[in-house]
Amino acid sequence: MTVKSLQRILYVEDEPDIQAVARLALETVGGFTLCTCDSGKAALDAVQSFNPDMILLDVMMPGMDGPSTLSALRELPALKETPIVFMTAKVQAAEIARYRQQGALDVIAKPFDPMTLSNTVRDIWNKHVS
Amino acid sequence: MTNPPNIAEQLCLLRENYAQQLPAKLAQLEGAFRRHDNVVELPQLRHLAHSLAGSGATFGYPALSIAARQLETIVDGALNDGRPLSLEESDSIARLIEALDRGARTPIAPSSVPALPPSTVPEAERKLIYLVEDDASLATDLMLQLGHFGYTVKIFETPKQLLETPVDPLLAVVLMDIVFPQGDLAGPEAIIQLSIAKQLRTPVIFFSFRNDLTARLAAARAGGAAYLVKPIDVGTLIGRLDDLISDLPPEPYRVLIVDDNGPLATHHAFTLQSAGISTDIVTDPMTILAHLDDFKPDLVLMDMYMPKCTGSELAAVIRQLDNYVLVPIVYLSTESDTDRRLIAMQLGADDFLTKPIMPEHLISAVSTRLRRYRVLRSHIEQDSLTGLLNHAATKDRLTTETARATRQQRVFCLAALDLDNFKNVNDTYGHLIGDSVLKNLAELLKRRLRRTDIVGRIGGEEFVVILPDTNAKQAFGLLNELREAFSLVHQRASRGLTFTTTFSCGIAQYQLGASANDVHLHADEALYRAKQAGRNQVTLADDDERQDSY
Repeated sequence: MTVKSLQRILYVEDEPDIQAVARLALETVGGFTLCTCDSGKAALDAVQSFNPDMILLDVMMPGMDGPSTLSALRELPALKETPIVFMTAKVQAAEIARYRQQGALDVIAKPFDPMTLSNTVRDIWNKHVS
Repeated sequence: MTNPPNIAEQLCLLRENYAQQLPAKLAQLEGAFRRHDNVVELPQLRHLAHSLAGSGATFGYPALSIAARQLETIVDGALNDGRPLSLEESDSIARLIEALDRGARTPIAPSSVPALPPSTVPEAERKLIYLVEDDASLATDLMLQLGHFGYTVKIFETPKQLLETPVDPLLAVVLMDIVFPQGDLAGPEAIIQLSIAKQLRTPVIFFSFRNDLTARLAAARAGGAAYLVKPIDVGTLIGRLDDLISDLPPEPYRVLIVDDNGPLATHHAFTLQSAGISTDIVTDPMTILAHLDDFKPDLVLMDMYMPKCTGSELAAVIRQLDNYVLVPIVYLSTESDTDRRLIAMQLGADDFLTKPIMPEHLISAVSTRLRRYRVLRSHIEQDSLTGLLNHAATKDRLTTETARATRQQRVFCLAALDLDNFKNVNDTYGHLIGDSVLKNLAELLKRRLRRTDIVGRIGGEEFVVILPDTNAKQAFGLLNELREAFSLVHQRASRGLTFTTTFSCGIAQYQLGASANDVHLHADEALYRAKQAGRNQVTLADDDERQDSY
């Protein structure tokens, strides 16, 4: 079994505050290469050139929300298999199950702790991907 | 541990920035609320609340997050029904806005322990081994054998070759012979040179036909982490490698926090998370059963007085569940009356911590109990020969997994494994060798399966593997790979003789509505058919074949 390491993360999030703290949490603390987009549409443009190992997707965004962004991403041949994780403040069991059905690999609860977010992301990667 | 200053500073700046924007955001939210008669404003109100809920605690305002979340839920309800807010809802929101204001004035300190330092290569990838050995056939044999356990081996014929090669960052361990044509202690000497020239800090395992003190001393002086005498038993070598490469990191401790006060629960959760403990929060005590099964806590930290039921009542309920008879229950309470404390303890709790509690005290009190519980649980649950789960623990896990699959409509597979003709191994080579075959299979299963997979030894030579979120087709591919790998492992008998042995396997996929026993029965039937069909093969249960699931 070959194991790919997690290096490139695309984070789609409309809130500039959260984008900034995610940059700190994932780039500075976590050591990942991060690309942030503020909408589903921007993500669709960015994925081709950025080629992420994993995508973190905010669920509730104006315009294209998380689930519809996920569907649109899945239609791109290069992103059929890319792990996509939802970030959401709604973390009831029923909602998590629904997000999974929609194709999210896992769900990270918001608000997150900036000091441990990278560990959470790495755990998800190790659990599902490697 | 303290944060590198730049991270702490940057986080402070972000928090300050967020704090500066908070009053404007709250004013905006209040404005949207005041205009809520105009239905157009409701989505805006929900959006503002959602944004605060999802960000507050990240920037140090957990109470803000909680209140905003409640507010969002109320507006969500009205929007989903397509109606304006009721009077009652408006009252609640007005109170929640006050709570938001209070929450915005009471930030908590950021957690002070950073995430694990970034490592360029995850531990799980470090499975590369350098093998320095001039006997080509021994080297190739070891490479193949270690390969079955998931290691990649690169062979060097002489120490000189190793010295001339740049060290691969994926390198986990060096296996070094002692005697080479270049000298009777050429191995250890090369390692000393390497550690000086290239600052090599990788653990080294020496091996040799020599078993004298001079050779062992040279190995020790070169910093050898272990010394093995030829012929090398692969099982022993794998054991040493596992000790050295911690790529099976211990599972983090899990604490379930039961407290109706959301912000406080979040605060305790952050404190514990900062010490690497994973947490799950229950704010409605009536939902605790689902949390227990899903999260499988190592400790329950509970508020004493909650609406709907008290901590003592809840402790009594937890103690009625067979799986949680032992789990430590610790109260966090302002209760100082000794009599009341004693009564509460009689109902099943283990300890009292007095609120408010300093974060370091909470971590220390909880950690001690967590450690002890894990040791206790391992004595009860583990098979002493292989370190896998024993019969009872495996059955428990199967029951839990079945319940989880039913509840969450997920799929899992159960594989039943049985060594082929194991009695012959014991009769021919003796029970000690039989035991080492069992250990080798256990080791192979542990190494090659995911951490979320559950592996148990349920009888003499019978093993069980539970593969969550795996369908029959995937399970078949995986187990067949393992079957093949195991059939190629050289089992070592006495006097340097080796032999190989195999296992048969039956796999059943969980079908909605089935019980744990059904799944086990189906896997056993499939195993029986594998044995009948000539052993050394993997067979799927009837249902799974009929469904054409692969």
